[in-house]
Amino acid sequence: MIGTFFVRVTLSDVILLGHAAFGILGTLSALWVFVEALNAREENASRIRRGAMAVTISMCAACLLGGYWYVTSYPAEKAIILEGPWPAAHNVFMETKEHLFFSTLILAIYLPIAAADKVYANAIVRKMVLCVSLLIVFTGLAIEGAGAVINHGVKIALLRAHLKEAHVKGK
Amino acid sequence: MNRDLERLGPAAAAFALAAAITVLFNTSLACAKDAYQPLNRFMGSLAGHNWTTQGLSDMILFFGLGLTFVKAGWAGKIDPQHLISLLVAAVVVAGAGLVVWYVLV
Repeated sequence: MIGTFFVRVTLSDVILLGHAAFGILGTLSALWVFVEALNAREENASRIRRGAMAVTISMCAACLLGGYWYVTSYPAEKAIILEGPWPAAHNVFMETKEHLFFSTLILAIYLPIAAADKVYANAIVRKMVLCVSLLIVFTGLAIEGAGAVINHGVKIALLRAHLKEAHVKGK
Repeated sequence: MNRDLERLGPAAAAFALAAAITVLFNTSLACAKDAYQPLNRFMGSLAGHNWTTQGLSDMILFFGLGLTFVKAGWAGKIDPQHLISLLVAAVVVAGAGLVVWYVLV
């Protein structure tokens, strides 16, 4: 049973799920940095820096995996979405997601630069780290939500095609 | 609190300004390539896919501007409160701009 399960998981599936997982990890790490910065003290300064690096690494991994999947595997799904009942899943949600992600990525790369200064001793550095990490959380959640809508766009398009086919066979 | 301590470091200030400019550039480029297909095709021919070219352009611009601003020291002269407001506003405007563009077009 387990063997059958793993045989059916393609590399494309692994890449897509890895992309989503790293996106969530990056978003959660940004939330972690936000909470640490709210309570910034000398004792948690290194945790803030480590958290900021975790955001960068996770978002870069999400970008590389998602980008590879988008370029190589998405065109087939795009065609399915556009023929289905939710074309906006591509036209609005995917188009927005694929471009909004660059803002999140840039913020994720910037976060360790902002957090390199003494967050606990400098109010303005703390404010910058709080703002940037919160922006990453909001944009990250929006992107994850858009991913769910895109996934649903494919699902209902396939479901409708399958039901149509079953209906024709039934006749 | 010491006034000098209430400033961003040179790299933090420079790359904040670079990030604000780059996210606005990213949205502008997304709308431009969507509206003008020859640009879309040209970007596709550069790196194999227009999205890849856009990502690479963003990274080059972000690091290029960031390093330039660090060297020039301009960003450090901007009020850090304004720099934070600018970055937040840029991300909000860029995000909202993308949504509005793809909903309307």
